[in-house]
Order: sequence, then structure tokens, then C-alpha cells
Amino acid sequence: MLHIKIIDIKKNKIITSKAEEFIKSSTYGASILFTGTVRNINENKEVIGITYDSHDELVLKSFKEIYKEAGEKLKIIDKAVFIEHIKGYIQLGETSIVIAVACKHRDQAYVLSRYIIEEIKKRSPIWKKEHYKNEESEWLKGNPINTN
Amino acid sequence: MKIILELFGASRDFSNKDYLQFEIKEVIEIKDLKKVIISYLDKNFNGNKNFKKIVESSAFCSEDNNIINDSYKISKDQKIGIIPPIGGG
Repeated sequence: MLHIKIIDIKKNKIITSKAEEFIKSSTYGASILFTGTVRNINENKEVIGITYDSHDELVLKSFKEIYKEAGEKLKIIDKAVFIEHIKGYIQLGETSIVIAVACKHRDQAYVLSRYIIEEIKKRSPIWKKEHYKNEESEWLKGNPINTN
Repeated sequence: MKIILELFGASRDFSNKDYLQFEIKEVIEIKDLKKVIISYLDKNFNGNKNFKKIVESSAFCSEDNNIINDSYKISKDQKIGIIPPIGGG
């Protein structure tokens, strides 16, 4: 079971209860809900919000690949995964990403949840522009995507 | 031929629009398209070094949403996406 979506903040927002409902419907015994939110300080700068940009098609493609690979590499076949990522400007404390997973056993759920967020950071074309209290803003440097 | 370069992330600062448009006479590889983009930046942003670094460290993606390498050839009108270093989540 897989649910993936880019949420355009101009039209909608991330609702974590939707992820919980999705996971509950899977009937697997172990589940983990991970959320990422905008934090107040980054590199000693006071952050008031972040604009997220994404290449939607490539991001959704990467989510599908990560889900598939979790079965092949981690040997976690029976699983339910819910991933939503925000696009647009959100303020301090608001949710940018939700990842909910359910598996048969708790060790699988922990491994799977961690695997998904780490792979998204490495592979999914999503960018952050931080906005600071002093009214400045900047795109974060990030990591080059692997072209091989 | 016309190449539409779709801008994402930090490369959005290259224009007020969501894209750049280039008229290219011959088949061109991605590595040479990078030179065309850098030439545009030289002309319009006085050779802004940070902008050039973004181009040099970016990947590119084809119209059918595949990441493409430096030797990928563009031979007809096409949209190409520039993918600067990423860092979402």
C-alpha cells in the first residue's frame, strides 16, 4: 500500500490524521508517524518560514522508487507507506513532510521510516528557501543529485 | 530549435519567469547547454559566480522526467529542467 502526494499550500495543507487513518486501514501491527516541521534557528539565523519548491513529477517518481527499493533492499515486503510533502511557503512550526509507515514488526517500521526520509533527502528534487527575521532569505545549498 | 529551460530551486533567481528560452541552431549536448546558460548569466547577471556554481553543480532532466547526463543530445524543441543541488524534507 502506498500513498504519495505533493501538497500545494495555496490549495491545501498536510493533515497528519489522514496519514494515521491510512496506516490504520492496513491492519499491520507496528506503525510510526514521522513529521518534519520548520524549526526556528538554522546556522544561527532566526527562521520565520520556508518556501519549498519541487519538481513534482520527479519527486513522485522518486517516492515510488524508494518504496519499491525498500522491498528489495530492506526485504520489507508487507508494508503500508504514506508520504506527503509540502510545496510553497509555510511558517515556523508548520508541517513540511509527513511519513507514516506500518509493518508487521516494530524493527521493520523503524528501519523503513528512517530509510524513507534519508533517501528523500538524497534523491527527491525538493528545495528550501529560508526566510529570516531580518527580512533576508536564501536558498539552502543542498546536495548535487546523482546523474549516474 | 527552441529549448525551454524550466527553473527550479536556486536557479529560479536566474529569471522573473519560471523558465529561460534559448534558440539553438544545431544538435546540442547538455554539457554545451551549460555553457549557453553560463553565457546568459555572464550577459544578464555580470557573471554572478554563485549563479555559475549553481549551473555547474546541477543535474538536468528531460521532458519525460528522466535525469540525463552531460552527453545527452537535444535535437528538437524540448523542455529541459535544471535540477540544482537538493535538500528537501
